[in-house]
Amino acid sequence: MYSQTNWLGEFSKHSLLLAGAIVVLLPFYLMLSYSFKSPSEIEANKGGFFGTQEIMTDNRCIKAGNPEEECLMRPIVYNYTAAFKEAPLVRYMLNGIFVTVSIFVIQVIIALPCAYALSKLRFWGRNVVFGMVIFCLLIPVHAIALPLYIMLAKVGLTNTYAALIIPWSISVFGIFLMRQFFMTVPDDLIDAARMDGMGEFSIVWQVMLPTAIPALLAFGIFSVVAHWNDYYWPRIVVTGNKDLMTPPLGLRMFKSDMDGNEYGPMMAATTVIVLPLVIIFLLAQRRFIEGITMTGMK
Amino acid sequence: MGQSKIHYWFVGPAIFLMLLLLIAPVFVAAGLSMTNYSLGNSGFDWIGLENYEKLFSRRSYAKMFTASLTYVLLVVPISVALGLGAALLISSLKIGGELYKAVFFLPVMATLLAMAIVWEFALNPIVGVVNDILRSGCDKDVIYAFFTGSWYGNNALESWYGSSCEKKFPIWLGDKKYALGTIAFIGIWQAFGFNMVLYLAGLTSVPRELYQAAHMDGADSAWERFKLVTWPMLGPTHVFVITISSIRSFQVFDTVEALTQGGPSKSTYVMVYAMFEKGVKQNLLGIGSAITIVFLIFVLILTLIQVYFVNRRVHY
Repeated sequence: MYSQTNWLGEFSKHSLLLAGAIVVLLPFYLMLSYSFKSPSEIEANKGGFFGTQEIMTDNRCIKAGNPEEECLMRPIVYNYTAAFKEAPLVRYMLNGIFVTVSIFVIQVIIALPCAYALSKLRFWGRNVVFGMVIFCLLIPVHAIALPLYIMLAKVGLTNTYAALIIPWSISVFGIFLMRQFFMTVPDDLIDAARMDGMGEFSIVWQVMLPTAIPALLAFGIFSVVAHWNDYYWPRIVVTGNKDLMTPPLGLRMFKSDMDGNEYGPMMAATTVIVLPLVIIFLLAQRRFIEGITMTGMK
Repeated sequence: MGQSKIHYWFVGPAIFLMLLLLIAPVFVAAGLSMTNYSLGNSGFDWIGLENYEKLFSRRSYAKMFTASLTYVLLVVPISVALGLGAALLISSLKIGGELYKAVFFLPVMATLLAMAIVWEFALNPIVGVVNDILRSGCDKDVIYAFFTGSWYGNNALESWYGSSCEKKFPIWLGDKKYALGTIAFIGIWQAFGFNMVLYLAGLTSVPRELYQAAHMDGADSAWERFKLVTWPMLGPTHVFVITISSIRSFQVFDTVEALTQGGPSKSTYVMVYAMFEKGVKQNLLGIGSAITIVFLIFVLILTLIQVYFVNRRVHY
């Protein structure tokens, strides 16, 4: 119809979006690029994306009393080995995985039966319980971090894995989400299971759980992303004990321990921590976007 | 159905945890906000509303409210506008929409603390790329003329860009004139992709027929169709996006803690950071709890506004 104006319009739209994309991608580009380059290249802002990868000497290695020929390496190797040597990155990552997975599993164990009861069982007080869930949805967890911290400190649980996990064990949002989902599951399915002599517990875990997989997946993505990235809560309850630190907290420690201009190793550590989620996101984009925006409903 | 007492086992743990971990803390905070409690002390005194009086009279707390409000007022409008703009552009594209969507969503996913540290390097006044790029434009006539405004007759040296070229470009995070704006920039960078996705979802629910109807009525230009159809039909999405972004930006913490620690001269002393500094770092739990309660009331008001409008299903 208006082919000429359309071409022009299409072109200007793409240029606008491209300009935005460059700004959005800038820190990701820098993070990767710095993690490849030598300190001098970073300071002088030279060497393009990948740097020249000229052999450099590792001063720290020489200070440790090693002969010079053993301390020569490519900047990329230096940055990544230094990152893993100077900070217990592997430990941080394992902590991150342990904490996020535990939180998600406990959230499901608590939320699923509750959501089932709220949607499919009739009992006295059901509406009160549901009202309570809705009320709790209004409470932002950021806001009550301080009293939670005091309560944990009073029972001597700060600086433990329990402190990182317990406050998140209840997800009212998860209950709400699952309940809405179960409302759409036909009662016949449950009645048939009862006819077959299944108990209520088996119904929850063997009938309802499999039907809820799509909703659980979305909730899981939300939960894992939120807690892998969470810095606020670990910062409050973990003080100084590196064995307990999750990736963002560990990275923060790395930053304050850093002497001088250790940009390369620092950015290598950042890359190691940011990349896993980014890669999974790029592989399962649609699910991620759904899962995270669903929580917008929160 | 429902004869057995099995439901106790199903809802019991959830009720217990809700009471313990969500409802009790609100009361604990409310109670402690009227004391001078510190961890490690055996007792405490009831001091009534003294903490709240401090909160609303001392200058450092006035700075706290200013910082939080300024941050929200910077981040919300800009990130909502950018989110809407990006969504409109992307949804009207013939090809490549999915790609831009993924790129703009990337910051939402990435660990904010880590990306904040990268931004700090990028904004470093000496080795940072941002000032390097800005400086490199100073000796290129076209860019210089464009940014100083001298192409339409402005005095180049009086403009921000021109005078920065003469002297030097800002120490973004270390200058109290720029620090909060810089933190807000990172906040916008992180948040607008989230708003974009919400708007994209909103746009798919606008019925196609309305555009045809508008066309029949003589709304030919894209702007008129936007004004007549898209904008009003997005009513519920607007409310939702605005309240969600306000709540989220009220909770800013990671960037402030990692990059400025509330400084310079308290210009970035936002509420959640203040809560952390007073309550956790300085062990002043009374005043920390008072900030908690005020913060809770702010967020509650925002949430109630959202619930009110969403339930009425407003269409402007």
